[in-house]
Amino acid sequence: MSTTTKNMNKYWRIGEPMVWLSGASLAITLLTAIILLAVIMINGLGVFWPAELQRLELQDGNQVIGRLIKSEPTADGSALRRQYKIANRDLYGLDFRWIDEDQIVSQEVPRNLLVLERIEHGDFYGELKSLNLNGTTRTASLPDLTKALIEVETEIRGLRELEGKLKDASYLMEQLRLKKLKFDYKGVPANDPKQVALSQEKAILDEEFGHLIDIQTRQNARAREDTAMFTDASGREKEIVLADIFQVYAPNSMGLGDKIAFYSAKLLELFVGQPRESNTEGGLFPAIFGTVMLIFVMSLFSFPLGVIAAIYLREYAKEGIVVRIVRIAVNNLAGIPSIVYGIFGLGFFVYGIGHSIDSFFFPERLPTPTFGTGGLLWASLTLALLTVPVVIVSTEEALGAIPREMREGSYALGSTKFQTLVRILLPMASPGIMTGLILAMARAAGEVAPLMITGVVKLAPALPIDGNFPFFHLDRKFMHLGFHIYDIGFQSPNVEAAKPMVFVTTLLLVLIVLLMSSVAIRLRNKMKKRYTFGTF
Amino acid sequence: MNPAFLKKVKRNDRIARWVITVGGMAIIFSVIFILILIAEVSLPLFLSPDKDLHASFQLEGRAAEEKILAMGVDEYLETGYRLDQAGRVNFFNIADGSAIDSLQLVSDTGSRRLITAQTYGRLNHMLVWDDGSVTIERVKFFPFFDEADDNQRSIRHELEHRAIFAPPSYGLPVKTMARVNDEGRQVRVDLFRSGIFQITIIEEEESLFGAGERVQESHQLEIDSVGEVTAMTLSTDGIKLYLGTSKGEILRWDLSEIDHPVLEETTQAFLDQREITALNMVFGDVSLIVGDQQGGVSTWFPVRDADVGWKLTQIHQLHGHAHAVQDVQPSPHDKSVLSIAADGINVSHMTSERFLVNIANGAEKIEAFAQSTRGNGIITLSDHGTVQSWKLDIPHPEVSLKTLFGKVWYEGYPEPTWAWQSSAGTDDYEPKLSLTPLIFGTLKGTFYAMLFAVPLAIFGAIYTSQFARPKFKGIIKPAVEVMAAIPTVIIGFLAALWLAPLIERSLGSMFLSLILVPAALMLSIALWQGARKLSPLKQVERGYEFLVIAPVIVLAVAIAAILGPGLEDWLFAGDLKQWLFNETGTRYDPRNCIIIAFAMGFAVIPIIFTISEDSLSNVPPSLKAASLALGASRWQTVWRVILPSASPGIFAGTMIGFGRAVGETMIVLMATGNTAIMDLSIFNGMRPLSANIAVEIPEAPVDGSLYRTLFLSAVILFIMTFIVNTVAEIVRQRLRAKYGRF
Repeated sequence: MSTTTKNMNKYWRIGEPMVWLSGASLAITLLTAIILLAVIMINGLGVFWPAELQRLELQDGNQVIGRLIKSEPTADGSALRRQYKIANRDLYGLDFRWIDEDQIVSQEVPRNLLVLERIEHGDFYGELKSLNLNGTTRTASLPDLTKALIEVETEIRGLRELEGKLKDASYLMEQLRLKKLKFDYKGVPANDPKQVALSQEKAILDEEFGHLIDIQTRQNARAREDTAMFTDASGREKEIVLADIFQVYAPNSMGLGDKIAFYSAKLLELFVGQPRESNTEGGLFPAIFGTVMLIFVMSLFSFPLGVIAAIYLREYAKEGIVVRIVRIAVNNLAGIPSIVYGIFGLGFFVYGIGHSIDSFFFPERLPTPTFGTGGLLWASLTLALLTVPVVIVSTEEALGAIPREMREGSYALGSTKFQTLVRILLPMASPGIMTGLILAMARAAGEVAPLMITGVVKLAPALPIDGNFPFFHLDRKFMHLGFHIYDIGFQSPNVEAAKPMVFVTTLLLVLIVLLMSSVAIRLRNKMKKRYTFGTF
Repeated sequence: MNPAFLKKVKRNDRIARWVITVGGMAIIFSVIFILILIAEVSLPLFLSPDKDLHASFQLEGRAAEEKILAMGVDEYLETGYRLDQAGRVNFFNIADGSAIDSLQLVSDTGSRRLITAQTYGRLNHMLVWDDGSVTIERVKFFPFFDEADDNQRSIRHELEHRAIFAPPSYGLPVKTMARVNDEGRQVRVDLFRSGIFQITIIEEEESLFGAGERVQESHQLEIDSVGEVTAMTLSTDGIKLYLGTSKGEILRWDLSEIDHPVLEETTQAFLDQREITALNMVFGDVSLIVGDQQGGVSTWFPVRDADVGWKLTQIHQLHGHAHAVQDVQPSPHDKSVLSIAADGINVSHMTSERFLVNIANGAEKIEAFAQSTRGNGIITLSDHGTVQSWKLDIPHPEVSLKTLFGKVWYEGYPEPTWAWQSSAGTDDYEPKLSLTPLIFGTLKGTFYAMLFAVPLAIFGAIYTSQFARPKFKGIIKPAVEVMAAIPTVIIGFLAALWLAPLIERSLGSMFLSLILVPAALMLSIALWQGARKLSPLKQVERGYEFLVIAPVIVLAVAIAAILGPGLEDWLFAGDLKQWLFNETGTRYDPRNCIIIAFAMGFAVIPIIFTISEDSLSNVPPSLKAASLALGASRWQTVWRVILPSASPGIFAGTMIGFGRAVGETMIVLMATGNTAIMDLSIFNGMRPLSANIAVEIPEAPVDGSLYRTLFLSAVILFIMTFIVNTVAEIVRQRLRAKYGRF
């Protein structure tokens, strides 16, 4: 036997290849994580970049304007085909089109091609032909259009203000209606001064409301008078009302600076804008706001509860079989599937407590539920239950890591247990408690299943906070980033068109969650290092 | 020190102790509370039904009255009525029997006396008059809210004359059955003493000009059976006719063609030739209820047989009587069946075969009975003239342990199956609430996910804790922990919208990479063994293996991606999915268990990894040092010394990962087809308990059977994870006690 084979055999026998294989497992694990992040980044980051518009001439003589999405081999693998976003949903029906590469005769990037983001029907790709302002039609260029749009914009702003007023008025009317319901329920007679005052108030409001509606109709009609004529790839004309145009730009004539500015503006819109087109376009503001509110309300409950439970377990309860069982229970609580929490929240909070609140405080509104239906409060409470174990475990760990001498020193100086707790232990454990809280928040930000049945909706009519008394409306339904992903990715009628928005939302959520949890883990590791001298 | 201050401090301490203790205990009890609450919601599924005699009175003026042929009651159990032989409908108050109203029915032919009456559907009465004519009358009840009287509810009633059938030309029939459907199609079946059997069908036929034209067809037929016809029933739409004979035969007719009634089959239902005494159709007109001479009650429907076509088959055997069955009636709102014999009325449910209640009036014989349309009450009239009103509380008759977990033969199915299909558009739908396919789905998804995750996570943890350089360990561990925080909705979304199409497109490449990656790993390890003789390389290798090997994996996958399509062309004629279907009969579902294995595996890897890594790192270094000093290689040390010591921790980690996979909702909701099938194939999807809850609970009416069944499935999920977590936690606590803290 040669030395090489001998060496080889020894190499196998001592298990060196197994070390390599375990290294390979780790490599696969890390690679999948990297791929996951890369897919999200690649798909999410490019969404708002104003990529160039191409004008293609096909062999059958047709012209196409579109944005290249991707190219891949055809089914038989002999050639390439490209996917273009051709937009103009109202003209073509579909936003996307596959074109075989050998069908393309010529391809150019004309500078005058425009992208119109519209309130309805998605984007429009084409060229500007003429403007119709105040009844006169004339040929125009992009600057004219932009100028006209700015003028329309002021009108639209006025309309928005009106809309706000209308919203307020209808809120007031709803309040009056509920008040009247209450009077009726209590049996206040119709000629009672209170009822009379109410109906007078209602009459005034009705009149004001009607007046506002009139103004709105008139202004709306005026704002919709100005139009512009566009042509698509094949020269078909399309008249578009200026008020329907959300934004217009010519990506092919933009420089790098312009493009970066445009990208930043779009990012800003993502954070502060309202969703459009059944959530597949526009901003994420209500979803972000709902998520933040949810995390906030949840923390209000889960943080004190978790910390108190942990303090009890670690500092007050006597070690023994009971505490052992309790620890098992807490760890179990952490392991219960989130959907079980969800169904518990539905059965206990929504249908149990919520119905009781309704029948005690709002009997006049029944059968329309107030608290007896999913809402921010119930979702937050459900999530609080779900995240309490996270806080308990981290707080306990942090308290346990504090060396005994600290406590004994404090007692020796004559302080009570509570004083020791508040002055010595809690401050020392605070990084650990923070870790738990941040981890709990990250969990709440990403959890969807229990929310789906306790109050999250695809489009909430109003935010949980507004200017109407009592300002916090915890009974309202809300939107959530995680549910947003599920909703637009799976429930939207046009999945392909919704994909960019899903990826953007995903990217945002991943960034939020990863940021939070890395901060938490960093905090925890720091704390571990600080107290390791106590353990060995 | 200031005594007041001391006092305050002490008081604060006491209060704090109290608050903290109470708060702490409360939170801890909430675990138990959660289980109790969800169990409490699902518990009524298994409660036995309840009957309550809420009124009993002697009918006034009974002697003066004619024989009572039929009764009825409104759904609130407030107003009842009785129909006597003179055609009078007397409405009475159910609480005390006081008379409310009396209406006289007349036959259009002028006849004033009834021979018999039969109730079907929602308070429809088929009346046979003494001249042979038949009318169908319906009693309608509707609640009325009186505004003048503080919105008090009262029950109004009304009679509707639905159809009239002229007397037959052969004289008085022995048995008659008649139905009218919503389009006015009338069907009448008569059996005469002479043995003549006549079917009369009247249809409104739309003529070319739109005007309705009535077409009448009569058929006289011979009955070709051994026994005499003893029972007869027609479906409410008048299409299906069943006859039962004294020799235990059932004849099935199809009357859908006006000019051609078809005898579909004659079945010897009972081999002992017992007499069939009662026939009726279960709500929904699919199943036939058969009551026999020996007190047996069973349901039947035609099942497709490969040889003889549709064959009437006994499906359910319900709780029987000690005496011959006199009559069988369907419940007008679910698949319950009422049967009456000398020992009273039995209420059973067809699907669950549960015997619900027996209603008897002591020694008195029940002459007539009626059930409320909501199935919540029955009134009976005995031969002594006693009226009893029973309130029934049967919340979930269709649910039993057998329907939840066992195989059930549902209407229209070729054989007993496990099925989950909770609702459909119609009222007469038979809900299929078997949890077995859902539990199967949960375990299937978990199994494949664990198959992918466990080896990767454990070996990865071994490498990280034992072989990797400490500086890598400091990065890898937090990185994996951060991985654990990635929301599952994101993993599910990527799995469904990115991974699923990718794998569907390159299935061949995927399988190729399953071969290529291990092969490439082996090859590269062997090659490296040759190359490491050069000393600089040897210095480098220890602790860097995973970085060196990563490009090999990437390369192998890339090669598989390139070669995959060619291989598929060559081996499977270009389409692996088609080949799979042709050769093995497996259908390739784009959202299948491969996707689930990757996605859910990815979600549980960090959990298993973290806990395993912790327990491996906490094995005392002295053990490792001793093993190495004795000359063991580093792998031998890990495999024989460290792994056994850390195995409880690894086991605990695997268990917790398992618990997580069992309860995972969003990934399975998005990345499986959500079809409740029981098929182990990796190319199908499934429907697990968790996703099922998320899908169905928003639609489930509160406190209905579906709602409670979903809570029951939550209890099952809870118990599954509870056991797994408790075992894991006990193991961890043991380990902690052994090796100090971690």
